[in-house]
Parts: sequence; C-alpha cells; structure tokens
Amino acid sequence: MGAVKQVRLCGLGGQGIVLAGTILGHAGINDRKWVAGSSSYGAEARGSACRSEVIISDEPISFPHVIEADILVAMSQSAYDKYIENVESEKGIVIYDDPLVSTKEINGLKQIGIPATNIAATELNNKQVANMVILGIAVEITKIVTKGALISAVEKNVPERFKALNLKAVELGLNWEME
Amino acid sequence: MATDVRQYLRLEAPPMPFCPGCGDRILLRLILTAIDELKINMDDMLFVSGIGCAAWIPSPHFNADTLHTLHGRAIAFATGAKLFNPKLKVMVISGDGDLADIGGNHLIHAARRNIDLTVICANNMVYGQTGGQVAATAAKGVLTATTTAGNYYRPFDLCKLVNAAGATYAARYSVTQPTLLISSIKKALQTEGFSFIEVISPCPTQFGRRNRLDTPKDTFKFFEDKLITKEDAEGLSPQELENRIITGEFSNGSS
Amino acid sequence: MVLKEMKSTLPPGSYYFSGNEAAAEGAIAAQCGYYAGYPITPSSELMHRIAARFRETGAVFMQMEDELASICSIIGASWAGARAMTATSGPGFSLMQEAISYAIMTETPIVIVDIQRVGPSTGQATRPGGGDMMQAKWGSHGDREVIAISPWSVQEMYDQTINAFNLAERYRVPVILLSDEAIAHLRERIEVRERITIFNRRKEKGAPPFGAGDDGVPPMPAFGEGEKLLVTASTHTEYGLRKTNDPLVQAKLASRLHYKIVNKREEIIEYEHYHVEDAEVVVIAYGFTARSSLFAVERLRQEGKKVGMIRLKTIWPFADRLIRNLGAKVKKVFVPEMNIGQMAGEIMKYAPCDVISFSQTNGEVIHPYTIMEQLERLL
Ligand SMILES: Cc1ncc(C[n+]2csc(CCOP(=O)(O)OP(=O)(O)O)c2C)c(N)n1
Ligand SMILES: [Mg+2]
Repeated sequence: MGAVKQVRLCGLGGQGIVLAGTILGHAGINDRKWVAGSSSYGAEARGSACRSEVIISDEPISFPHVIEADILVAMSQSAYDKYIENVESEKGIVIYDDPLVSTKEINGLKQIGIPATNIAATELNNKQVANMVILGIAVEITKIVTKGALISAVEKNVPERFKALNLKAVELGLNWEME
Repeated sequence: MATDVRQYLRLEAPPMPFCPGCGDRILLRLILTAIDELKINMDDMLFVSGIGCAAWIPSPHFNADTLHTLHGRAIAFATGAKLFNPKLKVMVISGDGDLADIGGNHLIHAARRNIDLTVICANNMVYGQTGGQVAATAAKGVLTATTTAGNYYRPFDLCKLVNAAGATYAARYSVTQPTLLISSIKKALQTEGFSFIEVISPCPTQFGRRNRLDTPKDTFKFFEDKLITKEDAEGLSPQELENRIITGEFSNGSS
Repeated sequence: MVLKEMKSTLPPGSYYFSGNEAAAEGAIAAQCGYYAGYPITPSSELMHRIAARFRETGAVFMQMEDELASICSIIGASWAGARAMTATSGPGFSLMQEAISYAIMTETPIVIVDIQRVGPSTGQATRPGGGDMMQAKWGSHGDREVIAISPWSVQEMYDQTINAFNLAERYRVPVILLSDEAIAHLRERIEVRERITIFNRRKEKGAPPFGAGDDGVPPMPAFGEGEKLLVTASTHTEYGLRKTNDPLVQAKLASRLHYKIVNKREEIIEYEHYHVEDAEVVVIAYGFTARSSLFAVERLRQEGKKVGMIRLKTIWPFADRLIRNLGAKVKKVFVPEMNIGQMAGEIMKYAPCDVISFSQTNGEVIHPYTIMEQLERLL
C-alpha cells in the first residue's frame, strides 16, 4: 500500500469545517491523488460539533471513512474532546486553534497550537476565514497536498465575491512562520 | 350532428362499455365531432385518461395514441409526455372522482403551471365504475352508495378551482347542450395553455337508480333541471343558486 | 444500431463528486431527456445538479407537486420517447410504488434512484439505512420483476446510473438504483471516461409493442410516431387492447413480464468476489457495507484467516445460482446489513449452509472493526 493519510477537521457548525474539507479533497484531486471525503450533514452541522473527513491516498481507497486520524485539525474544545482519542498515536499530528482549544497531554502525540482565529481577526479583520488560515497552516506543516493544488481548489470552491478574502487567508496560513 | 365519427374510432376495439343512457357515450361523440370540425390529425393527438368509466372514452376507442393510466394521475402522465414532446397535442379525459378527488392536487398544479393541456372532466357526481360512491362534485343531499342519508358536504366548483389556480380557459356544459359543448371543446383545443371543461355527464345506472330516477330520461331531467346559464345566474343569491349547476365559460379575465 | 458508443458529456478526467452529483452526471451522460422529482433528503443534491445542468444540455427538468406526479410524469415522458428518471428517498419511494407497478405492466423504461435513509417512516433523514431492499422488489401489488442495482462508490453512482438507463431500455423495465445516504453524501475521486456506451430503445414500425419479440422484450415505439399506441396497465393483448376477463391473456402477459427478466438474469447480474476460493466464511455484502466488509476481510486475510467476500452489485433479479453454488462450498456465510436481515432472508432461501445475519439499524454505517469482530467469532 502506498501512502494513505486520514485527515479529520472538526469544530463548530458555522466555522466552515465542511468547506475546508471539500477544498482539501479537491486539492488532493488536483495532485492526482485518490480522495474520499465525508462530513456532518444538514441541520446537525449547525451550532454543534461538526466534522469533515478527508482521506488522501496514492492508491484507490478501500474504506472511505476515517478509521484513525493521522491529522486532526480542531477548531473548538468540544470537537477536540470528541475526536482526540481517535488519532494515530505514533505518527499522528494534532493542529488546534489556540487559545480556543486547551489540549490534553497524550503520550507521544504531537500537538501544535496555531492562533488561527486570532490571525484571521487581526490580519484580515474577519474571523470567518479562520478555517482557511488553519487549513493553509495544516497543509504547510503536513505537506499533505501541494500549495498550488490547495490554492486552485480554493479558487474552484469559493463563490466569486469571497474569493479574494479566502485566497488571502489560505496564503497567510501557507506562509505562516512557526516560531 | 352529421359528423360520422366512426372514422376516428379504432375498428379492432370491442364494443363500447357504456351503459344504456350513459352521458359518456354522448361526450365521446361530441369530442370527436369537435376534433373533426377542427380537422385535427389524430396522429398528432395523445389522449390520456385515468381510471373510471369516463377514462374509457378514449381508451381503447379513439384511433390515436392513448395512454390509460392510474387512478388520479392522468394529468401527471400527460405533463411528462407534453413537456418532453411539445408537438403532441394532449387531451386528458377522465372522471370527476379521478380528476378532482384522488387527482385534485395534480389538477390545480397543472392549472397553476398553465401546462398546454386540454382536460375534460366527466362529472356524474359519483364514482360510476366502482359502484356509485359519492364524488367531490356531488350536489348536497344526493343519495349515493356512501351517502345513504344524502350527501352532507358541498361540491367542488371545479371551474372556480382551476381558474383560481391560473387556468387559461375554463368552462362547464352538459352533454345535453351539444352545440355549446362542441364549440367549447374546440375553443379549449385551440387554447394555448391549460384549458379545462367540466362536462355534466349523467350516470343513470349508479346515480339515477339510487336517487329514484328510474329511467335514463329521469336522470337526464334531474340534471337538466339544475342547469342555469352563467347569464341567468347573475344577480341570484347563493341560496337561490344552491344545488344549481351554472353553465358557460369562466375563463380568467375574458368571456 | 441498438448499442451506440458516444462521447461523454463531461470532459474526461478526474472529478471530486458526491454520490448524488455523480448519479446526476451519469444520467446526463446516458442522455436522460426528462427528469422529474420532489425534494427529499438525502437525495436532493441530485435534483439540484440536474436542474442546473439540464439548462446547459437542453433536457427537460420538472419539480413536480409530489412523488406520485414525479414518477407518473417520467412514465409519460418515457412513452413520448425520453430516457427518463426520478430520484427520491424512503418516504417518496413508498409513494412511488403504485406507479412502479404500472411501469412494469406497461413495460416502460424508467430509472429511479432511491437514496435510502433509516426508517421506518420519517426516521432519520440524514442517516443511511438499507430498509428498502425488499420494498424495491415487492413494494407494490402483483408479482413483479424489476432490476435493482446497489452501488458501493461514487464512481459506481456514475457508472451504474448509465448502466441503469441501458438496462431499462434494453429490458423495458424500471431500474432502481438502490443507494443510500452514506454513498450519496460521500465525495470521492471519480474517473470520467472519454466514451460511453448507450443502449438505444429498439424500434420496429408496426410490430406489437407488447408482444414477445425475439426474447420476451418487445420493441418500443413512442407517441407521435403515427403508431396509434394503446398503452394500459390493465391486462392487454400484444397491441395493448384491454382484456380484463381472459385468463389466457393474463397468464401469458404475467409470465412474459416475469421471464423476460428472470430468464436473462445471468446476463443482468453482476457481482464481485474476493478470496472465496479457500474461504471457510464468506461475507455477502452490498453497497457501503461492502466497503466495510472488504476492509475487514483484507485485514483478516493478512492474519491468515480464511475469509472471503462476495459483493452483490445487482440486487434484483437475485443471484440465486451464485448463492446456491457458494453455499455448497463454504461452511458459513455472514451477511451484514443496514436493515434487519432483508437480503439475509433471501440468501437463506438458496444457500445450503449456515447463514448468519448481522443487522445494524441505528443510522450509522457498519464499521469495519464491527465486521472483523463478528467474523473472528465465526472462524
Ligand atoms: C388507487 C386506486 N384507488 C381506487 C381505485 C378504484 N377506482 C377505480 S375507478 C374509481 C372511481 C372512478 O370515478 P370517476 O373518476 O368519477 O369515474 P366514473 O367511473 O364515474 O366515470 C375508483 C375509486 C383505483 N383503481 N385505484
Ligand atoms: Mg364520476
């Protein structure tokens, strides 16, 4: 089996988790990978914990849901609490929105805090695009898709009038200097 | 009425199933007369009907494309055929129970959409085929298999109904008014958009018998006595018009 | 020519579609000319895409007033010459049953996509279920044969929708794509090929439209071709003339409608098998559950366990011979389903071995680990 990466994005409904997942999936397709994605659907996606899963693989994907996340991106405490136990314990990476999420110590698990919502608020004056900031950073850290693939996926999936803002946000993430 | 309508009938079809004195037999002839007078090519026509005695008017007797469908759904079938092939000239012929009870929702929606169909509804106030149960068009007080103490509820005014929904043409005539009815059918066929004619078509067997109208003649008289033209009805109070059947054209805005 | 190769409507290449979108694209590729539907979760995105894309292709889209009108109007359109389709979910599928029977009796090709959700009744609208498997077969009055297909991926939502149109036209029968929420809302990469094969309705001027033809399937003319068609779902002769009192006509028609499908079932039925040669326990699965099952089977094989899997791609007509032969070779078959043993019951009719039914009707897909656990117990 070639490389398979299971990604779970989670947060609250309204944070743009599902859109972030769709964009990541499209980016995988742009990279000529095999991709499967699924997400919380419908009314359940509003307000409460919400998730979007993306599997990106070099080969066709047998089971299309995440069994154990290699990458968990968490944008709310409740979502983090719900999904943190289901991360691959050796190579797994958790990227969380700091300080919205406070982490639990888990043996060997790499957890990286990024102030995505703050960045979106201060740099772009719009918290709404924190999802794109954290997606950009997650891609930068994990290299799960290429930058170009991600940018063109944003272009394809965001309505015209929000495009410039979302592109800025994702690029901000992709170029974020980790301290 | 000199028209020989036999040329429009399917020769291999069995004899018509209508009872002696059935209004539908007259209606059949009047529809074909209107088609003859308009010189419509039967190859261009599609006749769609539901289930019931009236639904047997076109199927299998009319020598054209005929689609005999499900109870209540004729208009839905017709909508699909017409929209896919707008060249078809589509006429729906069915009973009052079929079009106004079980199929009432399709009737109002086709009128609302103003689909280019001509719908002919044979009103005998009952479900003739299934033994004479009450239909939504039945006058108050009439006896049927399921209103043995007299019909308690008001009838639908189908012309008002389709007009309110947006039909382009609506009319009501009785089979006892052949000249008016033929010209109305011709108008309906020439109307672009949704056209609807409610035809009073008495049923001596199921309706007449139960209402002690012992002969077809009595049944016809029962209905004829209720008829009143739109013009004569003008100015009469609702009480005076209760249980009357108003005939004429009721199209939106015009006539 | 009945079979026709043609260019795909979408430029060939990779797409990231949901199952619903892929089925819509499959319909467009298959030259669907008329679609009517009524909104219902979890099938609505299929209709949304059709509504938008038909504006480009010029095909006719109608949102009708209910599911009764939707299916009746596609039958009308089919007789007017259209390849016609509707899509729905459980409650709407229930409403369509009378007209499915009509389409079978009048031998009208139509495609119905049923995105199953968990029931009974309204149940959970956004959650998958498999409760319509038997309804697809026996949901309306009368003995009746349909074709039903169960896709397990987004790719198959596309491919099998095209196949569904071809089967419908080939056998003049309603074809049901028995999918579910898990596949309809799944997004996957799919490959759109450059060319696809389309089955064109067979025509023969003057031939009886309800006769036996060469193989039980008569040619099908359309309204407006001067054939003066008589279409009725009452018992009829080969030219469509009603004969509602003649036992011979009834017997002949009913039997032809049955055998035109059943006698061709080896041609219609598709399935896949994995590691069955030396297997002691074989999983029989379909749809999304087959994805979970295959994952479980592959894992157990890596551990040296003798398990295998059959995936039913065609649900109806049922693969009776396949199951009979398989049951003679293995000790146990295991049937995981998102319903209470609907297909397991059918399998029991034919498999001369132990049939273990596993049901999960909580609105969640069956997890591969659940299947592994169950299989380990059986080994
Ligand atoms: C779904 C369904 N319900 C009931 C019936 C039985 N049925 C056949 S005809 C009919 C009523 C017909 O009445 P109408 O449309 O007024 O026609 P008529 O016979 O009076 O001309 C009924 C209830 C049926 N065929 N299908
Ligand atoms: Mg009646």
